[in-house]
Amino acid sequence: MATGADQVVGMGLVGFSLLLFTYYTIWVIILPFVDSDHMIHKYFLPREYSVILPGVAALILVLCVGTFIAVVTWRNRKPKKVD
Amino acid sequence: MTKLLEWLFGVSLIGVAWGLVTFDLLDLRLPPVYQEVAWPMPVYLLVAFGCYSLATVGYRVATFNDCEDAAKELQAQIQEAKEDLRKKGLKM
Repeated sequence: MATGADQVVGMGLVGFSLLLFTYYTIWVIILPFVDSDHMIHKYFLPREYSVILPGVAALILVLCVGTFIAVVTWRNRKPKKVD
Repeated sequence: MTKLLEWLFGVSLIGVAWGLVTFDLLDLRLPPVYQEVAWPMPVYLLVAFGCYSLATVGYRVATFNDCEDAAKELQAQIQEAKEDLRKKGLKM
C-alpha cells in the first residue's frame, strides 16, 4: 500500500471530488424539485452560476495548459543554424 | 459503420433530444421543472465525468503498492552506477 503523504493526497482528492459531485448534483438536479421557499435555497447560488462557474473554470484550465506549453516551447527554442 | 460514426450518431441523438427539451422546439409544453433540470445537462455531465476522473486518480494514488525493497535496491544501484561513471571520468 502507498504510505504517508500519498495516502493523504489520494484520499483528499477522493473526498474533494465526492463533495463537489454531491453539491453540484443537489444544485442542478434536486433543487428545481424543492419548493422555492425552503431554506436550503440560501446555500446555493442562482442557477445560472451552475453553468457559468464550470465554464470559467474550464477556460482557466485551458489558459493554464496553453501557457505551460508556450513557456516550455519558448525555453526549448534553438537558434537557426546559418550555413 | 466505424466506431467514430457510431459515437457521433449516438452523441447527436442525445444532443437533439436535449435541444428539443431545452428550447421546446416541438412545443411539447413539458412542466417547467423538467426544462429547468434539462438545460444544464451537458455541463453537468462534464463536471460529473471530471469528478469521477479525479476520484479515480486519487484512489489509485492512495492504493498504489509501494515496493520498499525494490526502491532501496534501486537507490543502491544508482549510487553504484554514479561511482562507477565518476571513476571513468564522467563529470556529474
